[in-house]
This record gives sequence, C-alpha cells and structure tokens, in this order.
Amino acid sequence: MSDTQTEPTPAVTPAVTPAVTPAVTPAWWLVAEREITTKVRDKTFIGSTVFLLLIVLASIVIPALISGSDGPDKVAVVDPLGTAVVKRADQVAGGGAYEARQLAGVPEAERLVSDGDVDAALVPGDGGYTVVGGSEVDSDLLASLREALLAQQTERNAAGAGLTPDELRAGSGLTERLLDPGPIPPLVAELASIGLAIVFYMTALGFGMMIAQSVVQEKESRVVEILAAAVPIRALLWGKVLGNSIMALAQITVIAIAAIIGLTAIDRDDLLSVIAPVSGWFVVYFVLGFVALASLWAVAGSIATRQEDLQSTTLPGQMILLLPFFFSVFAGDSAKTVASFVPIASSMAMPGRMLTEDVPLWQPLVSIAILIAATVGLVAGGARLYERTLLQTGRRMGYREAIAQKAE
Amino acid sequence: MLTVSGLTRRFGETLALDDVRFEVAPGRLTGFVGANGAGKTTTMRIILGVLAPHAGEVRWNGTPLTRATRRSFGYMPEERGLYPKMKIRDQLVFFGKLHGLDPDAAAERVDKLLDRLGLAERAGDMLETLSLGNQQRVQIAAALVHEPVALVLDEPFSGLDPFAVDAMADLLREEVGSHVPVLFSSHQLELVERLCDDLVVLSHGKVVAAGAVDELRGNGRRTTVYRVVLDSDAGWLRDVPGLTVKDVDGCSAQVDVGEPGREQELLRAALVRGPVREMTPVRPALSDVFREATSR
Repeated sequence: MSDTQTEPTPAVTPAVTPAVTPAVTPAWWLVAEREITTKVRDKTFIGSTVFLLLIVLASIVIPALISGSDGPDKVAVVDPLGTAVVKRADQVAGGGAYEARQLAGVPEAERLVSDGDVDAALVPGDGGYTVVGGSEVDSDLLASLREALLAQQTERNAAGAGLTPDELRAGSGLTERLLDPGPIPPLVAELASIGLAIVFYMTALGFGMMIAQSVVQEKESRVVEILAAAVPIRALLWGKVLGNSIMALAQITVIAIAAIIGLTAIDRDDLLSVIAPVSGWFVVYFVLGFVALASLWAVAGSIATRQEDLQSTTLPGQMILLLPFFFSVFAGDSAKTVASFVPIASSMAMPGRMLTEDVPLWQPLVSIAILIAATVGLVAGGARLYERTLLQTGRRMGYREAIAQKAE
Repeated sequence: MLTVSGLTRRFGETLALDDVRFEVAPGRLTGFVGANGAGKTTTMRIILGVLAPHAGEVRWNGTPLTRATRRSFGYMPEERGLYPKMKIRDQLVFFGKLHGLDPDAAAERVDKLLDRLGLAERAGDMLETLSLGNQQRVQIAAALVHEPVALVLDEPFSGLDPFAVDAMADLLREEVGSHVPVLFSSHQLELVERLCDDLVVLSHGKVVAAGAVDELRGNGRRTTVYRVVLDSDAGWLRDVPGLTVKDVDGCSAQVDVGEPGREQELLRAALVRGPVREMTPVRPALSDVFREATSR
C-alpha cells in the first residue's frame, strides 16, 4: 500500500492560509435568524397566530357583549301582589335583574311564556303562587321569586298579627364578611388562571413541535450534514432554541396585548390592574419553562429521521406539558401549591395561584430558582443527546438508546 | 495541501477504515474511487469533522485541521440536501454567512454564482420548484459560495447529464484555480479518468493505489501490449516465438511482446509479410487499474 501519491508537488506551495474571516455574526445567531425569518414568512404560521389572537379577543369580548345585551328577565304577572313580588326580587338582586309585565289574565300570561316573550309568569296558584315556565325555569329566577314572595307574605301576615317589618326581622339579619378576600372575584380568577395555563400549554407545545419539526426537516433534507461541517452542532441547537423562544415570547406578548386591549374595550380596568402584574410573572415563568423543554424538543427531532417519527418521539414532551396542565387546572388547592414548585408544572400553577390567592413573594422566587436549576440541567442533558443523535440518519432511535449512546 | 494520515474507523465490529493515508495537492483534482462500501464517504465525513476517527488525523498544510479551517472548506455530502422550502438566493447567502462571509460579501458572491450557473432568474424561487439538475447546481454553489480553501465533493456528478457534467467540471476548474485542493469521489471511472489529475483508490477501507492518473495508467513505461493492424490475416502472429497473442480478429491483433524493445522485432517481421497499417501501444484503461488494484 502506498503511503502517499507519487505526483511530485511543487517545492513551494502557494501560501494557502485558510481565509478564516473573523466570524462577522456568531453561527448560533445566524441559525436563530433563519428560524425566525422562515417562520415569519410562513403563511400557515401567520394564519394560526392570527387565529389564536382572534380566539383570545373573542373569548374576552363576546361574553361581555352577550351579558350586556341580555337586560332584565321579564316576568308576566296578573295581579298587584305579583308585581310587588317581582319588584322586591329585583331590589334584592341589586336592580335591573327582573322586570314585571302586567297582563290581563293567566291564559294570556301562559301564551307569552310559550312564545318566549317573557321568561316566566307568576300567577296565583294552590296555597300561594305558581311560577310558570316553558321547558324550564331559571333556578336563580325561581329562588329570587320564592324568597321575595316569602318575605312579602310574611310581612303581610306579621302586619295582621300587629308586628312591624322591623320587629319581625329583629335578630335575623345575616351579612357576609370575608377574612381573606381574593384579589379579584373567584370565578374570574379561576377562569383567568385556566386561561394562563392554556396559553402556556398551547404556546409551549406549538413552538416545541416547531423546534422538533425544524430539526427533523434538516435531517430529512440532509442539509444537516452541510450545517454540521460548517458550524458546531451546539451552535445549531442554541440557534434553534433562541429563535423559537423569541418567536414564542413574541407570540404571548401579542396575546397579552390583545387581552389588555380586550379588557380595556369592555371596561374591566379593575381586572387589568390585577392581571397585569401576574402577567409579568407569567412571562418569566413562560420563558424559563419553554427554554427548559426546548432542547428536549430538539432531541425529539434529532432522534427521528422523518416527519412521521415525530408522533412518537414528541410524546414524552407532550406528556410533560399535558400532565401538569391538567394538574394545575383541576387539582385541589394543596396539590396546586405543590405543583407551583415543580419545574414546568410551576409555569402553569404559580401564575394561576397568584390570581386566585395571595401568594407570599418568597414562594415565586423559590419556585423560579428551582425552575432555573432544572432548566440548566435539562438544557445540558438535551444538548448532549442532541449532539450524539443529530447525524444518525439511518433510523429512528428511542430515548433510552439515545441516552445509552456513547459520545464519539 | 490536505493530508490524511492513518485514519482508522470502526462501526461496531466492522473496520470501515484501516490506516487510510493520502494527500490532496493544491490546484489538483484528486479522484477518490472505490467500490460501494469501500469507505470513501466515511473518509470524507472525517475530513469535514462530521465524524470522528478512532485513530489518525487530518492535517492542513502540516498542522492538524481545526474547526476554523474546516469552516472555510467546501463540502458536498453524498446525500444531497438543502432547504427545500427556502428561496435559493436566501439559502446560499445563509450558507455563505455560516461559512464566515459578511452579509454583503455573501450576497454579492451568490449573485455572481447564480449568474454563472444560469440561475439568476430563479433566485427568488424555492429550491423544491427547481428541476433536479438545477438543484444539483445550487448544491455545488452551496459548496463554492464562500470561496473555499479546499473542496471535498462526494459524488458531485452523479445524476447529471454529460453536458451538465462538462459545465460543472469547467466551473470547478475555474473556481479552484491553482491553489485549492479538490477531493472528489465518483464511481464513474471514465469521468475520473477524463477530469482528474490524481487518483486514490480505496478498497475495503484501505488505500490500494494512489498517484497521478497518468502514472497509474503506466504512461511512458512498461507497456508491452500492442495493437497491430495488417493488410492480410494476422493469424500467423500466433506462430512467432516469444510473442503472446491476446486476441486475433481478421487483420488486427493484440499482442504482448514480453519486454520493451521487442516490439521493433515484431514490426520488422510484420513488414516482411506486407504493409502494416497500424501499431499502437495499449495502455490499461483506468477501469483496468482499478480492477487490478482492488482485486489484490
């Protein structure tokens, strides 16, 4: 076997110093830039972002529009006492809730109920009054009318026994005093915390899948070989993580702005003052939670060889998001407290808790410290797996196999 | 000068490369041939740092190859691939920048290359909308965009029609000039014979022949085989002592005279019998060299 070729080479080879131009832009930034510019030009991506935006706006504005156009429930009555009862029920409910409509007789009242012109009719019946409804009577309306009728008739009976209404009610008042009132009405807080969890889940999943797809596309098209020859594999990973994190952050920022515009449009500045600071925390949790998983999404792409493989290779990533999502939405309070310290889960649970209860400042700080530690660990582990598996184009690997792979 | 020295690489139990060593000289097209599975692609991937060797190293002008130097190499992998859904100009500029060009220089260079390749009008088209031949052109452009200091091309001409091969070869010669070493693998031996200055033959992970193409084919020495064309039947050559007749077909024959110089005796003997229309030394084709080298 010959050692070298026999062709004599010129004694003086031309001075071929490699033209290593000092890297004008770091490779990871070039990769990030490409991720962003291709996505921004992608019509599917723009379409889905606009769609998501419309859903957020609609879910804020439409309920307000519907409840605003509703007006008071109309109740048909046939005698003065009926009118008085409805008026009383309306007063108790704070006004604007119920409206009496005086009619000539019961048949006419029933006809209006059937036609849907009124919500119910209050007519004299056995041992008092009967509420007539179509297929059903709204339970709030029924309870209000029952309470008003009881009060009205009790007062009248008491007057017959020589008691004034005040004497009758002496000592029976019941008022409510909350020792720990939440920042905003409980139902709204609950919905808003679910909303934040959904935004995190959808965005993290959506952009996570994009990272995996972007990686497997480069493997599938084989361009990865050229990339790997030109720049360090880690630069490819950091570029992808950075590019998609920027996109994800931009998207939730746009969603947040849409939500703020929506809340302002429906005159709920009161909610805004509570939700805005929590949104700040949410952004921090989002960025950390997303970056923690980003390199794992990249591994899901690098152990696959074709787009179809992603269904199975992204399953762990999907589970890591889905389980904490359900947990943070449906679990009990103490479980949520625990979840708000567990990495990834904390990104969904802690902002929610901050809406529904008063959380002492040390808690989010500790939870974020834990999340940062987990992020560093996951990113380092993910990067190692990514480096070992990216150039294996033969077949799809499992996670266990990827972890067992020796570094070359 | 690109020097490959002592490369060894195993895949599991299989020894894919066994102490592979050769040089690629500046300004010379070096053909890299071998049967499928001989280790050509593995060697090239190691040169580009995409795969790590288990032993040996690659040197550049005498010093071990660094990542910074590799970044200025041009590489065309065996399995073609660029971004299918990216405009060709955009992606060539991207590759230029990845290889260290600044954005303006990259853009200028890409426009020049696309013009040279006749693709200027397609600059804004997605790669996937181009014909396969044009995609191949873009692929070569991607390897050349940063004016590489060395080129490693894995089967650069496969899938090209003869015209495209000529155009690509011209482009390569033009681009590499006198100072860029070029290593390209191919299994189209006649192509390698036509284009290459030097040759490295790989067989079962070992270099079995290396050198200038002309020398490997035995130019100027040793050839004792001649083709002779006479006016009449050449069958009588079989009876000449000391002559090995390889083939006789009517008036023509192919004979081995045994040792240099004896062809003159043959010529004299033939002239006695009548006119000699043709007598030429027969050099082995590259495919013969290849077969001989790999069968050892």
